[in-house]
Amino acid sequence: MNLLDIRNLSIELHSSHNSILAVDRVSLSMKEGEVRGLVGESGSGKSLLAQAIIGVLDDRWHVHADRFHWRGRDLLRLTPEERKVVISQDVAMIFQEPMACLDPTASIGEQLEEAVNSEQLSGYFWQKSQQRKIAATKLLHKVGIKNHELCIRSYPHQLTEALCQRVMIAMALAKKPLLLIADEPTAAMENSNQGQIFRLLASLNQLKNMSILLISHDLENVTHWTDTITVMYSGQFVEAGTTKQIFTKPYHPYTRALLDSSPKANIELPAKSRLMTLPGSIPILQHLPIGCRLGPRCPRAQQECVQAPKVKNFHGHQVSCHFSLRDNY
Amino acid sequence: MAALLQVIELSKSYKLSGHWFNQKTVTALDPLSFEIQAYKTLAIIGETGSGKSTLAKLLVGAEIPSTGKVRLNGQTLNAENFKQRCQHIRMIFQDSGTTLNPSLTIRQLLDEPLKLNTTLNEAQRTQLIQDTLQKVGLLVDHMNFYPHMFSGGQKQRISLARAIILKPQVIILDEALASLDPSLRSQMINLLLDLQQQMGLAFILISHNLGIVRHFSDDMMVLADGKVVEYGKTADILNQPKHKFTQKLIMSQHFQLLHK
Repeated sequence: MNLLDIRNLSIELHSSHNSILAVDRVSLSMKEGEVRGLVGESGSGKSLLAQAIIGVLDDRWHVHADRFHWRGRDLLRLTPEERKVVISQDVAMIFQEPMACLDPTASIGEQLEEAVNSEQLSGYFWQKSQQRKIAATKLLHKVGIKNHELCIRSYPHQLTEALCQRVMIAMALAKKPLLLIADEPTAAMENSNQGQIFRLLASLNQLKNMSILLISHDLENVTHWTDTITVMYSGQFVEAGTTKQIFTKPYHPYTRALLDSSPKANIELPAKSRLMTLPGSIPILQHLPIGCRLGPRCPRAQQECVQAPKVKNFHGHQVSCHFSLRDNY
Repeated sequence: MAALLQVIELSKSYKLSGHWFNQKTVTALDPLSFEIQAYKTLAIIGETGSGKSTLAKLLVGAEIPSTGKVRLNGQTLNAENFKQRCQHIRMIFQDSGTTLNPSLTIRQLLDEPLKLNTTLNEAQRTQLIQDTLQKVGLLVDHMNFYPHMFSGGQKQRISLARAIILKPQVIILDEALASLDPSLRSQMINLLLDLQQQMGLAFILISHNLGIVRHFSDDMMVLADGKVVEYGKTADILNQPKHKFTQKLIMSQHFQLLHK
């Protein structure tokens, strides 16, 4: 059974004059134990989508979907309170810039104890504070922090960024989530630290069968860690498939361009040669092109592209393009 | 051929304030030497605190070196003489959004270095600003815009315009490509390579993306704790890293290189 099943989710921003379709009919499904990468450049609506799943968007944003199921339950029919209960039980999220997300005025220990679920504690009330401490220590051990005494006593600014991100992951693990949404967990981090965080997430996925939705703006950074990838551009669904499919045979011109433009993926490319790029820049939300939003930048665009293409499915490799590159392979 | 930029035994150490007798010094950068030719790129990689930003600051003149000297075309650059230095060595920063003055239009932003460093009259300055904007792929109309009206990629182009407007010989890119989206980043790389060919620029690229370093640079230097651990041709170092630190750095990114 699918853990998360979203069909044609749209997120609209209503303002006084007009409404802006920030996310336009995006589908996403997650199986248990799957690591899915959600890739898109800035303004592609990937963070909005994550916030819509968690349900933390404020009233200005309107979410519609044909289907929005969490383990078979329709989330759109629940009241916000019921929904909060369901989501907070099973879904956790970690953010980029962990140092900014932790409370600078409280020590790590206090913040971790706050996150510990009191229903997991057994015993009389005088035993609970001790149990909370032990639970917090265990959480730190789970994310690979061995020197827990020092860590619990310190404040966020005293720890390195990678350690802070580990603490964030520990807090997310406190409720034993089924799905962890990692919104650019390694942005602005050193390479060696990036590897540490990704390895930790991979091991949690392996050991606890936790599904991970890994959001990133850079395709080349996530390919090693994901089973499946969904690509978005400017609020529209572009392509989804297994990592291998996306990486070796991308069907969409945008994915192709992303791969061609990455000097890391093209190791055979002679040094200092020109890289393949898409012309122009990412459209801003106020001036979105009609139809396929890649249209003005796309090398294969034709007249039909003013109409938004339907999603086509080729053996689980979904692509949303009138002129996909499928026949080229 | 004589080197364009020669760095000889450059080092930086800071004195920590302390008692007279137990004054401590922290060495940010041990003495290092290198040289760059025109049309070439030197990449500097290393972790945080390895001294790569200190090196950039020393080259551009924002910090005064403890020892050593910088020679441009065989001429020693004086540490206090900014006027001489800023015409030849320019820098682009990581976050272009915060390095552009939000209260000035692009024209005023680009006019400032010209007013301070050249004797051009107003018409010539305007002409030069227009030419430079076109060179970096922007429109002449953009002159009257304010920085907030541009996207991240365009802001980075404005920073580049500000760097090349004085026709420098060396440009230092301090993580200038890190914060850009992939499709804009490759546009920027293409633009930089074109400008290098046109103007004979030498680049000093500070980066931690080895893919870009491999593609973009001719030589590379690996720094760790303020010391040079490896220095040589990029292709040689990436294919056969000798030092343990370099190997570790490549290993942490290598899986991505091998994936395809």
